[in-house]
Amino acid sequence: MRHGAVILVLLAAASPAAAQNAPQEENSDLNLIPGAVEKAPPPAAQPAGHGKYFLEDAFGLYSFRGSFAVPYPSPTPSRWADRLSFDMLDQWTLAPRLTASFSDRLSVSEADGIGFPEESVRNDPREAYLTWEALPETYLEAGRINLRYGVAYGFNPTDFFRARTSVAQSSADPSALRNNRLGTAMIRAQRIFDGGSLEFVYAPKLHTPAPLYAVADPVDPKFDQTNDADRFLFAYSFKLEEFSPQVLITHESGRTRLGLNLSHPVGDSIIAYLSWAGGAAPGVTADAIAFGKRTGTLPSFAPLLPPASTSRIFRNEISAGASWTSEYNVTVMAEYNFNQAGFSKDDWRNWFAIGADPVLAPEMWYIRGYASDRQLPMSRHQAFADISWSEPFDIENFSLSGFALGNLSDGSTMCQVGLNYDISDTWSLGAYLTGSTGGKRSEWGSMSNAASAIVSLVRYL
Amino acid sequence: MRNVLIGFAVAAVLAAGARAEPSGQQIIAQVNTSRTPGHPFRVTDYLTEYMNGQPHDTMRIVVFVKQNRETQEYDNLIKYLEPARDVGKLILFNGTNMWFYDPSSKASVRISPQQRLLGQASNGDVATVNLARDYSAKLVGEEKLLDADRVNRDCWHLDLKAATDQAVYSRVEYWVEKGTYRQVKGKFYSDSGRLLKIAYYHKYEKLLGSDMPTETIVIDAVNQNLVTTMAVSDLRNQEIPDSWFQRDFLPRLKLD
Repeated sequence: MRHGAVILVLLAAASPAAAQNAPQEENSDLNLIPGAVEKAPPPAAQPAGHGKYFLEDAFGLYSFRGSFAVPYPSPTPSRWADRLSFDMLDQWTLAPRLTASFSDRLSVSEADGIGFPEESVRNDPREAYLTWEALPETYLEAGRINLRYGVAYGFNPTDFFRARTSVAQSSADPSALRNNRLGTAMIRAQRIFDGGSLEFVYAPKLHTPAPLYAVADPVDPKFDQTNDADRFLFAYSFKLEEFSPQVLITHESGRTRLGLNLSHPVGDSIIAYLSWAGGAAPGVTADAIAFGKRTGTLPSFAPLLPPASTSRIFRNEISAGASWTSEYNVTVMAEYNFNQAGFSKDDWRNWFAIGADPVLAPEMWYIRGYASDRQLPMSRHQAFADISWSEPFDIENFSLSGFALGNLSDGSTMCQVGLNYDISDTWSLGAYLTGSTGGKRSEWGSMSNAASAIVSLVRYL
Repeated sequence: MRNVLIGFAVAAVLAAGARAEPSGQQIIAQVNTSRTPGHPFRVTDYLTEYMNGQPHDTMRIVVFVKQNRETQEYDNLIKYLEPARDVGKLILFNGTNMWFYDPSSKASVRISPQQRLLGQASNGDVATVNLARDYSAKLVGEEKLLDADRVNRDCWHLDLKAATDQAVYSRVEYWVEKGTYRQVKGKFYSDSGRLLKIAYYHKYEKLLGSDMPTETIVIDAVNQNLVTTMAVSDLRNQEIPDSWFQRDFLPRLKLD
């Protein structure tokens, strides 16, 4: 018996542990799987599908300031507006190595004081181009292409094709501005290799520049905005540790500019980034006045106010920032923007002092309109912050977002809070509240727009 | 005395058998080998999200997968085909070089490893995590566990801790069926130890020479009313150049 016990002990010690039942909670996880999962049929093979098509209606209410430090040149716009758009983006394979891409938005707007059809109907052919893969990973393209470079969010110094490209939309969010803009007619060659790419772009001058605020024909492709000068661009991306660098050189109207984009992860939840562009350029006032004279908006004798040098000096544009994402799907971005050609504190003081004269006020507003048209920060130092929260409080298909753009000299801001709810696979609802803060003699407090509320409904097709 | 000798002999044989029991690392290496084709491939994933027990959202994505020669990680290039609002969007996972591309904005946005863990497309991770390289595995023991079809399986229970910076999850628990080396269940944890996902692997089929689960059920452990099934189809070998797994290629990806 004693021997038998020894044997049992030895057997127990030597044999691998017999499989135990897993703790009850492991099997109880199965109860979280809905019965509908078992009943679901296996997926059926489907074709690759088409591009993106949708209808959007955006209705907005607007409020405006009543008194200004610099009198507003135009009458108060409508306090409401509605825009219905058909938007499409698609690509077709014409031959094994040849594709055609087309992107367009057709909009009909309604508001007080808007003339039909000149001001209410608008078709914006954002893109229309052919791509030929001449060799593996070597592409030649021709047509209107929306080309965007840069890693920043609020202001992208290396986004060299952004000027005069904006298209009507329901949100003032810079990222929404990026979604809806006109491409530039160009030819482009790109070679992609392991870890990077090399590309060359030539965008020809097709038209003399359109004046600022010109009302275009409803079907005018607006090449007089996107192709009003010859432009060349060279871009090179390569592998360098984890920085994903990209260097750019562009040449337009006798101006050569350099650009650099870098980004790098910091830990698991932060992406830091830097975007820089630099080149010889005049200040924004001299640039705007020269453009106004060239396009006939300003008379040739219009003075440069305040008096400033028109000479070009090397000026920098910088965006540096970081985005952080939490475990709870909250992403926060903070970004600093520097535009050396923009207004300093003294420039702002002069702008308000000169603009107080009603005769000179239109020219002062023209300078700001020029910067806005080129999507340039008006101020030398600006901050941008953005927060987005996907499915807050576990509310499915719902997201909250907000951003603030602030002048670091006078503390005024333009902010927006937005929410988006995906009602189904094909319907989305969005709402945006936008407002500006600051005194009458501040960048954002001097603007006519005080606040707006916009609701948009999207039906994907 | 004879009985004692027989007993010792049996014990010795069993002891030898016990020594032959594979280690946690060996098991996980075998799982890795058997579940992933040894060459680049492309697959279509159908993701169906169930909310409160009812199908709610569907997503269809095409995933291009290739093992990175330097890191041995699986690089992924994902293109959305459905839903309509997301069609054409792309995500690149190449180590810490991760980018999101939206054809509407033409913008490539760099995303952090943390963002990789969030969102529906991240469910693909539970299928292509490089277990053997990124994790050190410890065999916790052997357990009988019900699989997704409520069949009892004899499993090895493994506890995996992140061993490299490339590891997507800081900790993973796995139940692997003995003998077949099929994954039965996985639990995925964040850096803070928070349970993020519970995955059940089932409907195994021989595809491209590998023993692969054709459906994975992913339970959102944070919001347990949310369950996503990921069914694979149209799995095929494809030559994929290394140059595809970078930001600048994203706008160029074309599906035939």
